Amino acid sequence: MKDVALFVPCLADQFLPEIGVSVVKIFRKLGVSFTYDKRQTCCGQPLVNAGDRKGACHVAKHFISIFEGSEYIVAPSGSCIHTVKEHYPRLLADEPVWYQRACEVSEKSYELSQFLVSILGASDVGARFEAKACLHESCAVLRQIGVSDEPKTLLKNVGGLDLVPLNDADVCCGFGGEFSVDYPNISEAIVKDKVNNFKASGADILILGEPGCLLNIRGYMSYNGVGGQVRHIAEILAGE
Amino acid sequence: MRPQSENFKELARENLAIEGQRKILNQFSLILKALRDASFATLPDEKAALEKGRRIREDAIKNLPYLLEMFEENATKAGAKVVWASDARQANDFIVSLAKEKGANLCVKAKSMISEEISLREEFVENKIETYETDLGEFIVQQAGKTPFHIVGPAINMTIKEVSDLFSKVMGSPETEDPTELAMRARMFLRDKFKNAQIGISGANMAVAETGSIILVENEGNIRFATSAPKTHVVLMSIEKIVPTISDATYMLKLLTRSCTGQRISNYVSVITGPKKAGEIDGPEELYIVILDNGRTKIYADKVLRGALQCIKCGMCAAVCPVYTHVGGYTYGWVYSGPIGAVLNPLLLGLDKARDLYHATTLCGACKDYCPAGVDVRNIVLDLRAKEMDGDRYFDAEAPPFLIRVFYRIWAWVLLDYSRYKIASRIMRIVMPFVIKYGKASNLSDRLIQWTRCRDIPQVAPKSFHETYSELKK
Repeated sequence: MKDVALFVPCLADQFLPEIGVSVVKIFRKLGVSFTYDKRQTCCGQPLVNAGDRKGACHVAKHFISIFEGSEYIVAPSGSCIHTVKEHYPRLLADEPVWYQRACEVSEKSYELSQFLVSILGASDVGARFEAKACLHESCAVLRQIGVSDEPKTLLKNVGGLDLVPLNDADVCCGFGGEFSVDYPNISEAIVKDKVNNFKASGADILILGEPGCLLNIRGYMSYNGVGGQVRHIAEILAGE
Repeated sequence: MRPQSENFKELARENLAIEGQRKILNQFSLILKALRDASFATLPDEKAALEKGRRIREDAIKNLPYLLEMFEENATKAGAKVVWASDARQANDFIVSLAKEKGANLCVKAKSMISEEISLREEFVENKIETYETDLGEFIVQQAGKTPFHIVGPAINMTIKEVSDLFSKVMGSPETEDPTELAMRARMFLRDKFKNAQIGISGANMAVAETGSIILVENEGNIRFATSAPKTHVVLMSIEKIVPTISDATYMLKLLTRSCTGQRISNYVSVITGPKKAGEIDGPEELYIVILDNGRTKIYADKVLRGALQCIKCGMCAAVCPVYTHVGGYTYGWVYSGPIGAVLNPLLLGLDKARDLYHATTLCGACKDYCPAGVDVRNIVLDLRAKEMDGDRYFDAEAPPFLIRVFYRIWAWVLLDYSRYKIASRIMRIVMPFVIKYGKASNLSDRLIQWTRCRDIPQVAPKSFHETYSELKK
C-alpha cells in the first residue's frame, strides 16, 4: 500500500481539526498506510502571499526536510499544495541543491481528492451522507492545481448525497487571505454573491476543498444568520 | 489622465455604493463570457490556441529590441516616418508640434489607451486643436467628461438613459432610448469632423516587424475613417505592440477579437503599411508612427515583470475578475483597469503610487485562465509584493515599516519549529476570545477586527489537530 505523509494545513489544524480527523478516517477505511509527522507547522503560504520570500524560503526548507522522505504528500487543501508544488521551486531557484529537493517534493504532493482518485483509483470511498448539497470549486483547487473532476467524481459516489448545481461555482468566494482583512468591503461584496448563489441552489450544504474559503463563507453565513452548512469535502467523504 | 490609484480604497467604497453598477457589471461579465466561450468553441482546441497565443507574445517580448528595429526599418521602407518617444512629454510635444506645423485646428481620434496614458487629447485641447474621440464609447466618455471604465468598453457603466440625456445636451437632439438612433446621431455629429480634420490619430493593436505594418481592429469603421480621410495620420503605439510576422499577427487576431467581444473577427481589420502610394485613392499623405516607451523598457528589464507587456489589451481579464466585477473600472484610478491594470498601473506609475492595486486581489487566477496572451497576473502580483517587502528603488516601492517586517520575520521563525508554533497557538487561544468579545462592540481599526464587518471570526478549536491526533492513534 502507498506510503503517505499527511499534511494538515495550519488553518485546519487550529480552527478546523475535524478536517484532519476526517482525512484520517478516510485513510483508515481505505487501508492507506500513512504517517503524521508532528514537526509539521505550515507551508508558508501567508508569507509567500505577503511577499516575504526570505521567510517563506526558511519555511519551505523546513517543510521539505520533514516531508521529502515519503512517497506521497497529501493535504486537504489546494492552496497549500499549490504553494508546495509551484512556489517552493520558484523560491529556491537560486539554491541548486534545495531547488532539486523542492522539485522532488513538488512532484509527489497531492490535494486530497486528487490523491484519492488519481493515485489510489478510489473514486468511491464508500461514504454515506444524507443531504442535498452543492460544490464550490475553490480557486486554488480548480485553477492553481487544476483539480475539478476528482471532487465531483468522489461526491457523486457518496450514498444519499443529492448533488445540485451551484451557479458561478468556479467564481472566487472573496477570501484571498490578507485580501479579506485589508479590503473587507470588497471581500464582503464577493462572498455575499457566493452565499446568494448557495441560497438559490436550494442545497443545505455547501461543500468545498479549501479551509480558507470555508472559514470565509461560514463566517459570513453565521454573522448574517444564513441557514445551511459549509463543510469540507473530507468531512463528507468520511461520512458513514 | 491624472492618476488616482492612491485613492483605491476610497474609490472602491464609493463605487461599491453606486446603485445599479454591480448589476451592469454582472450582466457585462455574463454576456461577454458567454460570447467569448462560444467564439472560442469554434477553434479546434481552445487550450492549444491559448498556449500558442502565450508563446507568440512571450517570444515577441523576449525579442523586443531586435523586433522594434526590424519594424522601424520596414515601416520606413514602406514610407512611414518612425519617431521614438521615451516618455509622455516627448510624445506629446512631437505630435502637438507636428499638428501645428500642418496648420491643424481639428483632429479626429480613434480609441487608444496610451493616448489616455499620456493625456494627448488634453494636450491638443490646450493647444487649441479641437479634438474628437470617434469610437462611440470614447465619444460618450469624452462628452461626459469622464474617463474610460473599461479598456475595451469605455462607457459600459452608463445606461441608455444617461447617454440619451448627454446627447440631448451636446447635440440638442430630442431624447430617445433607441440605441441605434443614438449611435446614428453620434455618427451624424462626427461626419463633418472626419471630413474636415487635418490630422487623424490612432493607436495600434499590433505592429508587424517583418512588414512594418500597423494592424487596427474595430467594429464601427471610425478608425478606418479617421486614419484615411485626414491628410496626416499619426499612429501612437507603445513598444510592446510588436509581433514578429504577419502569420503571428493573424493568429493573435483570432484570439484578440474572440477575447475582446466574442467575435471570430471584428467588422473591420485594417492593415496599414505606409501612407497612400502613387495611384491609390484612399489613405493619408503622410504616416507618422510614434513609438512610446514611457517606462516600459524598465519593465522589460525584469524577467518576471515583463510578462505584463505580453498583454494585448483585450480586456477579458476584467470580465472574469471578482474584484473588477464588483468595484468597476474607476476604482483602479488610472488608464488600465481590471487584473492587468492591477499590475500595469503600479509598474508605470511607481509601486508607491498604486500600492493597493496589487494587494487588492484575491489571487484567484481566473484572469490567467482566460488570457489569450499568457499574462500570469497572479505571479506578477506576488513579485510586486516581494519587491515591496524588500523595498525597491527601481520601481519606487517603499518597504513596509520596520515593525511589519519584523512581524513577518517572527512569523516565519515561529513556523520553523513545532514547539514555537504551539506556544503561538496557545497565545492565540487566550487572546482570541477577547478579540471576539470586544472586537465587535468597539470600532478598533485593528486589521483582525476588519473581518467582523460581515463575518464571525472563526473560533479556535479547543484542541488542535496535532493534539487530537495523539488520541486518534489509540
